[in-house]
Formats: sequence, C-alpha cells, structure tokens
Amino acid sequence: MVSTEAATAVMKRPYEVEDGLVRLRAGRCPACNAVYCPARLVCDGCGHRGLEEILLAPRGKIYTFTTVHQSTPEFQTPYHLCYVDFDEQVRVMLPAAGEERPRIGEDVEIVLGTGPRLVGTEPEEGPHALMVAGPATGRDEDDV
Amino acid sequence: MSDVYVVGAGMTPFGKHPDKTAAELGAAAVLEALDDAGVSLGEIEAAWVGSVFQGMAMGQRALGEGGISGIPITNVENACSSGSTAIWGAAMSIKAGMYDVVLALGVEHLTGAFRGAFTPDESDVEAQRGLTMPAVYAMRAQRHFAQYGTTSEQLAAISAKNKRNAVANPLAQFKKPVSVDEVLASRMIADPLHLQECAPVSDGAAAVVLASKRKRAALGGSRAVRLAASTLKSGRAEVGLKDMTVEDLTWRAAEEAYERSGISPSDIRFAEVHDCFSIAEALRVEGLGLFPHGEYPARVVKGEADLDGRLPVNGSGGLLGKGHPLGATGVAQVVEVVRQLRGEAGLRQIPGARVGLAHCRGGKAQGVEGTACTVNILTV
Repeated sequence: MVSTEAATAVMKRPYEVEDGLVRLRAGRCPACNAVYCPARLVCDGCGHRGLEEILLAPRGKIYTFTTVHQSTPEFQTPYHLCYVDFDEQVRVMLPAAGEERPRIGEDVEIVLGTGPRLVGTEPEEGPHALMVAGPATGRDEDDV
Repeated sequence: MSDVYVVGAGMTPFGKHPDKTAAELGAAAVLEALDDAGVSLGEIEAAWVGSVFQGMAMGQRALGEGGISGIPITNVENACSSGSTAIWGAAMSIKAGMYDVVLALGVEHLTGAFRGAFTPDESDVEAQRGLTMPAVYAMRAQRHFAQYGTTSEQLAAISAKNKRNAVANPLAQFKKPVSVDEVLASRMIADPLHLQECAPVSDGAAAVVLASKRKRAALGGSRAVRLAASTLKSGRAEVGLKDMTVEDLTWRAAEEAYERSGISPSDIRFAEVHDCFSIAEALRVEGLGLFPHGEYPARVVKGEADLDGRLPVNGSGGLLGKGHPLGATGVAQVVEVVRQLRGEAGLRQIPGARVGLAHCRGGKAQGVEGTACTVNILTV
C-alpha cells in the first residue's frame, strides 16, 4: 500500500525553513536508502512502496551550471541555473541567485528568492522560487 | 522471426513550410517511400506514425491525405524519438509475424506549433524553474569542459562540420557553410552553446516502408537494406550523483542493438546521431562506443568524423544542418542511412559504406536521464 501521506507529499510546499535555513523536502527509500527530490511514490531502485520524507541539508555543491540567454517566451533572460549535489546523494536543478556566474564545485546554500522572472513582472512581483546562493556561509574558502 | 528490410524511403525537404500542413508533408513522404519501394497503397498492412506537437491522430490525417485508410494506424509520441519509435514498432510487428509490409512515418510542422526554446513538459518541476533543453545540454557541456578540457572552439567545429555536410544535402534546411568563427560569433543561447550550436525549428516528414524477408523477395530488386537491429530504451531514474557526460541511456540502446545484430562498434562505417546541440553529438558517439570517452570534440577538429574521415558522423548535416522536425527526425536519419548504403547519397556519398547506425534520443523529464532512445543498425 502506498500511504496517503506519501501520495500527498508532492502537493506540499517543496521546502521547510528551520532556524532560518532552507531545506528541500525529499523522499528516502527506507529499504535501500535511495533519495529522490522531489519524492516519488515508489523507489525506482528496489521497488519499495512509500518513501519516508526527509529534509535535505541546507547546503550543497554546484555540480554544473549555465546562464540561459534565451528561454521560453514566458521567462525574462538572462538567468543562471545549476545542478546542486547534496550530501544525501541527490542532485537537484535550481536557479542560482544573484548576477554572478556560478562555478563548478562552489559551495552554496539554499535561500528563498525570486527565480527566473516571468515576462512583464518586476523583481518583487515574481513568483517565489527556491534559489541557490554562493558562497555558502560558515564554510572554508578552500573547499571549492 | 523474419528479418526486416527497408524497401522504400521518402523524405520531404526540411525547413520552413508555411504553405503546407503536417498532413500534406506526411503524405508526400509516404508517397515517395511507396514509389521507391514499388508497392501500392493497398499493400500497406499497418502503419506507425511519430509526431510530438501535432495533436490528435496525426497518422490518420497524414495517411488519409495520402490515400491510406482502414488499416491499423498507431500514433506514437516519444519526444524527439517519436519517429524512430515508430520504426521500432513497425519492425517489431514484422518480426512478430503479424505483417509483411508496414509503413513508418515521422512528421512535424513545428513552425506552426512552437517558438522559443524547447522545454520539458510544462508540468515538469524543472521546467517551471526555468530549465530549457538548451540549458540541459549547456550544463552537460560545462562538465565536458571541466572533465576533459573540451573547448568552445571544438564544439563549434562539430556545428561547422554538420553545416558543411548539409550543403551537400539537397533536402537540408541550411544551404550555406558556417565557419567555426561564425558559430562562436552567433548569439549565446545557454552558455556555452551559441545559436549555431542548436538545432533549428523545422517542418518536414520522412517515411520508410519495411518488409519481411518473404515480401522483400517477392518485390525483387537489389536496393533493399536490412534492418539488422532496432532497439528502444527509456531513461532510467536518476538516483545518486551520476556523471552527466556519460549516456547510460544511449549505451543501453546501443548495447542491445550490437548484441541483436552481431555487429560491433568497430564494424560501424558511419553514423547519424541525435545532434540536437553540438555537445550532444559528442555525448552520443561517446555513449555509442564509437569514440573514446571525452575525446570526440578534439577528434572532430582532426577531421576524424568528416565525410572522408575514419568514421563520418552526421554526413546528412545532422539535426544542426539538415533541420530537426522533431517527430520526423528519427525516420529521416534512417532514410539517410538507407541512401548511403544504396550508394544514392550524391555529393555526400561515403565510399564503401556497408554498415550504418542511426541514433535518436529525445526529451527530458524530471527524475529520469532522458525520455527515449533508439538505435537502428542497417546493413547491405
């Protein structure tokens, strides 16, 4: 049986804020420990039904990035995107905050902010998105 | 199980066709393929039709325009692999002994349906966060740069090669060669990919007539090409932190094709691969086992993938040069391989071509490596 809780997990806000730290909601397979973000109903690795909800670390490392100069007509450009690797062994695609070009290997922390903006909106009007900011606070500079 | 043969091939010019409907393009490709095969409308027993953005019952509309109705028609949507998935389905029905003559059609009128960058489905969480298809490949290119020292100049050389090949293909969308400098001077789409490193928006259709061994013998003639293997895989769930320069999806489709055909990567004389972006061509041929991992861009600069090189890649011009009407692309690749193997490729003919491979990989959905991938190996 897939629990109702697991089935509705995807409907929830995709993050939690704890002590000012933004943590992405994810699902971990209790049988084989595979982590999915967002969660899914069934573990692809072992077929276990019903993942347990976990919150990812509030920091990760940039695996790769790009700056998008042409998008769909809905989005204003340019904006940065990156794939962020988390210690929980899961990779998540997120927009990057700020104007600075992201760097591979950069430590970043998850912050709330305005994602790629829709055409015709001002920054403060944009939809709130999960963002990645760098460099992460409280980390060694030489960790890059 | 019967061997499967391509006995007829047809293809419209790729490009912008504002004066034609998708159905008209599809019918034109079908009629050319039928004439090429020497089979009549009534001999077609079933059809598989691939398209992406053409709405309901594209197959019935195109085949109806072309005078075919009443037979089993299966419409296929599998992102950019829709057309080649149609070939896979058609070939499977012959192998299963259901039919002797089956049509596979790919068709797309994209200029009438689309603008801007191609994205995953709009319900996809990554698409909602701004992910586009160029961005996916740009991020994979950044990893190729970081891991193997690949450069923008090397990727631009892939585009320049394909656009040069397209000049020798009368059906290609682009008619002019483009230099490496011109590629790099074109506007940035998603860093490091420039406009000239992205496949264009195109309209077009391509069709093949497949036949069983028995029907091929009945048709006579010597122009049939054997479809030695046709495989289809979907992307595996992304679990863990995988190397994004490695195409597990491509390799799994290829591995099965090599096993089923008894043809190894070293036997492949030339390949048509899914170069939706310059970096994509590198990821494909490395994933297929045709070039060592990480080395393809540098080898393109040395000319190894040119028409007169060790292993010509995208001699047709590929998606970058020939154009990319999504649903038609996978079928057009097989049409090109057939024409090369028959010695009918004109100015872009690869001498002594006996074994060719077509690779088509499409799409992106959150949580999986890719949507679908096909490999077709053909031989004479």
